[in-house]
Order: sequence, then C-alpha cells, then structure tokens
Amino acid sequence: MARILWTAALVAGIALGVFSLAVARAGAENSFGGGSAAAGAAELAAGYALLGVGLAAMMHRRQARLGAILVATSFAWFLVEWNNPAAGSALIFTIGLALYAAAPALVAHAMLAYPDGRVGWWPGRLGLTLGYAGSVLVLGLLAAAVFDPASEGCQCPRNLLLVGGSTGAYGSLNRAGFYMGLAWPLLVILLAAGDLVRATPARRRLAAPVVIAGGAYLGLVATDFAYSLHRGFLGNDGLDRRLWLGEAAALGALSLAVIWAWVRARRTRFALARLVIELAESPPPGGLRDVLAGVLRDPSLVLAYPLAGGGLADALCRPVELNGEVTPVVRGGQQVALLSHRPGLLAEPALAEEVAAAARLALENERLQAETRSQLADLRASRARIVQAGDAERRRLVRDLHDGAQQRLVTLSLALRLARTRLGPGIDPALAERLDEAEDELRAALADLRELAQGIFPVILAEEGLSAAVEALAEAGPAPLEITALPGERLGSSAEAAGYFVVSEAVRQAASSTLKVSAARRDGRLVVEVEGDSVPAEITDMQDRVGALDGSVTVLHGPGARGTIRAEIPCES
Amino acid sequence: VIADDEVLLRDGLDRLLTEAGFDVVGKAGTAGELHREVELASPDVAIIDIKMPPTHTDEGLVAAKELRVSHPGVGVLVLSHYLASHYAMRLLEEHPGGAGYLLKERVSGVGVLVDALTRVHEGECVVDPTIVSRLLRRARPASPLGHLTGREREVLALMAEGRSNKGICERLHLSSKTVEGHVRSIFTKLGVGESADDHRRVLAVLNYLRSAPQQL
Repeated sequence: MARILWTAALVAGIALGVFSLAVARAGAENSFGGGSAAAGAAELAAGYALLGVGLAAMMHRRQARLGAILVATSFAWFLVEWNNPAAGSALIFTIGLALYAAAPALVAHAMLAYPDGRVGWWPGRLGLTLGYAGSVLVLGLLAAAVFDPASEGCQCPRNLLLVGGSTGAYGSLNRAGFYMGLAWPLLVILLAAGDLVRATPARRRLAAPVVIAGGAYLGLVATDFAYSLHRGFLGNDGLDRRLWLGEAAALGALSLAVIWAWVRARRTRFALARLVIELAESPPPGGLRDVLAGVLRDPSLVLAYPLAGGGLADALCRPVELNGEVTPVVRGGQQVALLSHRPGLLAEPALAEEVAAAARLALENERLQAETRSQLADLRASRARIVQAGDAERRRLVRDLHDGAQQRLVTLSLALRLARTRLGPGIDPALAERLDEAEDELRAALADLRELAQGIFPVILAEEGLSAAVEALAEAGPAPLEITALPGERLGSSAEAAGYFVVSEAVRQAASSTLKVSAARRDGRLVVEVEGDSVPAEITDMQDRVGALDGSVTVLHGPGARGTIRAEIPCES
Repeated sequence: VIADDEVLLRDGLDRLLTEAGFDVVGKAGTAGELHREVELASPDVAIIDIKMPPTHTDEGLVAAKELRVSHPGVGVLVLSHYLASHYAMRLLEEHPGGAGYLLKERVSGVGVLVDALTRVHEGECVVDPTIVSRLLRRARPASPLGHLTGREREVLALMAEGRSNKGICERLHLSSKTVEGHVRSIFTKLGVGESADDHRRVLAVLNYLRSAPQQL
C-alpha cells in the first residue's frame, strides 16, 4: 500500500511539474515560471528537489511524515501556476484558485515538524493553523467563493467554487490573508528559532540549515504579501517574480539542508559500521571504551556498567564516577551500561539506540566481565579474610599458651626450686634426684611448649616483622639459611605472614640442604625468593596462601635439580 | 626491683632472691609501677619480664631500654620467653653495658640468675647461654667458624654471653695470657676487627653469629 502510494506520488509529482510548466508557458504573462527558460528551470528544479527529498524521506520509517509534507509542498509549489487564465479547464483553474497560496503553510509545517514530521508544542500548532487558515482558507477557498472571473474582466475558465461574486469582498479577504501572512510566518520563524536555541548541540547542527532555508523562504513570502497589500491580490509583476525566484532558491536550499542532515547521519552510521567491524575483532576488556571513544570522536567518553550489588564499575571492575551528560544504554528494559560523554554527542535518540544495537554483544560481554571481576574481587577478599582470621586465631592460641601454660610451668619450676632450697643441704639424696629429674622434665616441657608455640604462629613475626622472623627461623631451623636480603620496613601483617609461610614451608621441605633466601619490596609487592638444591615438592599450600592475597608463586628451574621458588605478594607501602 | 605482672612468680622470685642474699626493694606489675619503684628505691638492678600489660608483647623490653636512658646506673635484666636473638639485640644494641637478657625459666636456676645479676650490676652485659649456644650450633653454610678449635669455640661462646676476659679466665680456669691469645686468634680467623671495649666486643661477636644481612 505504502509502495503504491509512493509510486503514485512520484508519478503525480513529475507529471504535475511538467503540466504546471506547460500551463505557465501557455499563459506566460500571468505565470511565474512561464516567462523564460531560466524561470521554468528554476520552477522545475525547486519543485522536483522537494519532491525527490520528500520521496526519499518517505522511505525512512522515522521521516515518512516529513516526507509526505515535503511531497505536498512540492505539489503546492507547482499549483501556484494553475490559477492561470490559460489553465484551460475549470477544474484545474479552480484548484489553482483554492491552493495557489498553500505552499508557504506547508513549508512552515515542514520547518516546525523537522526532523520527525511531528509538531509537538501547541504554539507551533497554533502558528500552523494560522498559516493554513490564512493561505488555504482565506486566500484560497473564501477568496475563490467571491471571485467571479467574468466580472473581474478575466478571460478565464469557470470558477467552480464561486458562490457570489463581489470585488469588494474579494479585496477584503485578500488583504485579510495578507495581514495574516505578515503575522504567521514571523511567528513560525520565531518558534523555529526558539526550538533551535533550546535544542541539544547535535540536533541544532542538524536542524539549523533547514530552519534558515525555510525562514528565508517565509521571509520572502511575507515580503510579497506586504508588497501585495496595496493592490489587493497576489500578482506577478517584476518584483513578484524576483521574490518568487528567491523563494525557488530558498526551497532548493531547504532540500539541500535535509540532504545534508542525511549525509551527517550517514557519516555517523559509517562510524557505527566501523564500530561493528572493530568489535568483531573483540577488543580486550576495557577496550570497548576506547573503540567507542574513537568512533564517536569523544576522548572524554566514559563507559560504566551497573553492578548487581549496586554501584558502577568499568570493564576492569574499577569504580567509576560519571560526570556530565549521561546516556543509558537500555536493553530489554534493563540498563546494560551508562555512557558519559561530551554534551549533545548522543542527543539523537536513534544514535544512542544504534550504538546500543551495534555494540550490544560487546557491551553485554564487558558487563558480564565486570560483574565476574566484581564477584572475583569479593571472593578474593573473602579468601584473604579467612586467612587473616586463621592467623588471628593462631596468634590468640599462642598468646594463651605463653600466658597460661608456659607461665604456670615457670612458676611451678620456681616453686620447686624454692622448696628445694627450703629443704636445705641435708636433703635425702633420692629425693634430691627426684627433684632434679622433675626440674629437668619441666625444662624439657618448657622447651617443647616453646617449639609448639613457634610452630603454631611465631610471635616474633607478628611483633617484630618478617625480617626478624626469618632471622629467627635461620637461628632455629634445621636447614642452613643464607639470607641475602631482607626488607628494612614492615609490610603489613598479611603479606608478611604469607611471605614467612613460603620461607618456612621451603625450610620444612628442604631437610638439611642450604637455602638461599631473599625478601624485598619491589613496586608495592613483597618478593620472596628461596633458592635451594631442589624445588619443594609441595607448593600448593604456598600458592593457596599467597593466592589469597592476590599474589603468585612461581617455580624457576635452575641448573640440575636446583630451583627457585618465587612468591610475589601485594603489600602495604 | 622485680617487675612481672604474674604475682605468684614475682613473689616466688622475691623469696628465692632474698634467700640467696639479695635485697628485693620493690615490686611492680606494670611499666609505670616499675619506673616509680626504680625512682623511689634506686636499686642496683631491675629484673623485668618482657611481657607486661597492656599488650603483653614487648612492654618489658621497652621499659628496660627507657630505664637504661633515664637511670644509667641501674642495671636491667630482662626475662623472656623468646629464644630469638633479635630481642636480645634490641635490648643491647644501644647500651650493652649493665643489661642482660635471660630466658624466663632461668629463674629456677639460682646460680645462673645470681651470676647474671652480679654481672649486670658490675656493668657487664649478659646474654642467655642457650641463645648463644643456639647461635653457635645453628646450621649455616660454610663459614670461618668451622676453622675454630674446640677451645676457641668455648671462648667465643663466653664472649657472646657477655663475659670479660677475666670472667672467661675464671670459667675456663685459664691464664689471662692464654685467653687473650685465643681471643686474638678468634678475631683473626673470623675476620672481625678486635675491639678494646668489652661491650662493643659482645655486639661484634653477636652480630657475626647472627650474620644479619645488610638490611635493605
């Protein structure tokens, strides 16, 4: 149906142009375009340009209404020639009488309705109503009703609309139409300019040429109305024709303005196509922002994803704050992402939609990645907390051992010694021996207890730090340690505990071969290296422990069986 | 003055020392009380437990170091649960004379305790023999220590415990000439500069045994 209509409009428009020019040429003295080949060419060029642009716009879903208005404008532009005495037929002549002044109202309509074909605001509708009333009703139908060609001395075809001829009424109606025609174009120009001022920069850039061209046309029309006031009808003397030529040029400019907006949109669409291609090469996480920033030519662009747990994050799960203009990317009623960008960049709603469509998979992908990273971060934090809680519990246990059992044993040995001295030198040798044995046992118990506590959690690690603890390990340990470097400062208890665990595990597994130990802080990481004759067989525990802090354990194989365990642990600075 | 927050132990130590012929002139349960008692009684030596309120970590050690500065004439003997030489070094590194570090269970060994108190009072420094023997025994990569004779190791251990040449003579029943010879030989073999000052000598020996790396 739409196709048939479109084809009909095409055929009718072309035929209308040819026919109108033929009428104009037949009655050249009463026409605009009939006087010269140049004027005819201008008439056809302006009309066909509007027709072509209108038909093209009709093919776009969103601009179909605008297209229809433009096609109608082109028809009206040609109809101005039909109220020519040379029209030949009463019907043609009458249509010309009724609609010869309709074009300006339609141009105003196109201006106010640009780009989607709708006039939303009531003052706009009021302006248009005045326009149609003035040019179609007053100057057209009503004037035709009282215009009797015969009594006006015109060798014209019959006026089918004639009700009762009256020269006075005809002049009054015309003048009323002219006064209205001075007012409403001004109103429309003001409204369109106001719309422009309020519009976002992107929309302004697109709409300004249309408004300027349309405004120029309306200005020329109003000038002609003013010029015609004294004579009571719209004529075609020299000035009228010059104004009409200006109108043709303005309409040509209007068509070009609409085309120019398409070219711009097409450029954006090319950019979108490039976006699709670049996305097909699947950028790394975080790369989508760079691609979008490049395609949309906005280096300040920020891409943020709403997380399930609340808050916004970028693709690498770093918290993001959005400033300035923010456009949400919505899919299936859900916000997939938020774009903050330079003002007006995505003012065209369709553009935001198209970006969302083109980048849909990539956006979804990055959002899921951000989500995953966020969950991973939570998991990591929980792992670190578990390790920390374990350490804290062990420290508490050790402190209890020291303050409780050990303290009591010391007190007990003291009491034993006191009892011994009380008994004096004349003590039964057997009893003395027993007491000696008890004291030895106590000493052994204390030594065992100390070792036990040391194994559970070295107090020195918590109190004096990694360096002191590794030195103490060297003093106590079964394996000879060659310490080549130790940090001079504290690095946070979690990192230190993990580093110590790596060394003590290596010592435990190394039996009695010499280990070379170094620990140092490099770029915010504690790097612990243990080099030995053999690589410890079990490093899973180390990896768990270090991994809980987002660190890594790697094994570097040296010559022969020699190997180095290298642990990198993020630490406090 | 005895400073220990464990009343039973403090009282037991009091009785033991009294019976051994010492005058216990004050007792304290916290670092604050310790300072007050030392101020009031001006004792020869203060015995201080390393663990004191509020955190029960190293308040005793800190208090001992403060006493070394505020009352240089008062010897301090720190009793500790910890075998690591790190703590002993913390106590001795600034003012080695008149300070001692003993393991807590020594309180029942009257001989060691009396010896340590006497030496601290006389301005020597005292390091627990267990810590020293642990340092000496410690497994280590090949080092000049292996070149020492048995006697030289004994002398080295006694030096590390903080004893003067005279003390070493008495312990090993050797003439002072012989001991001086051993000491010279040890320093030569270890490649450590000999120090005339006994306290510096202790630190040098301990540092050598701990073989602390250059701290980065």
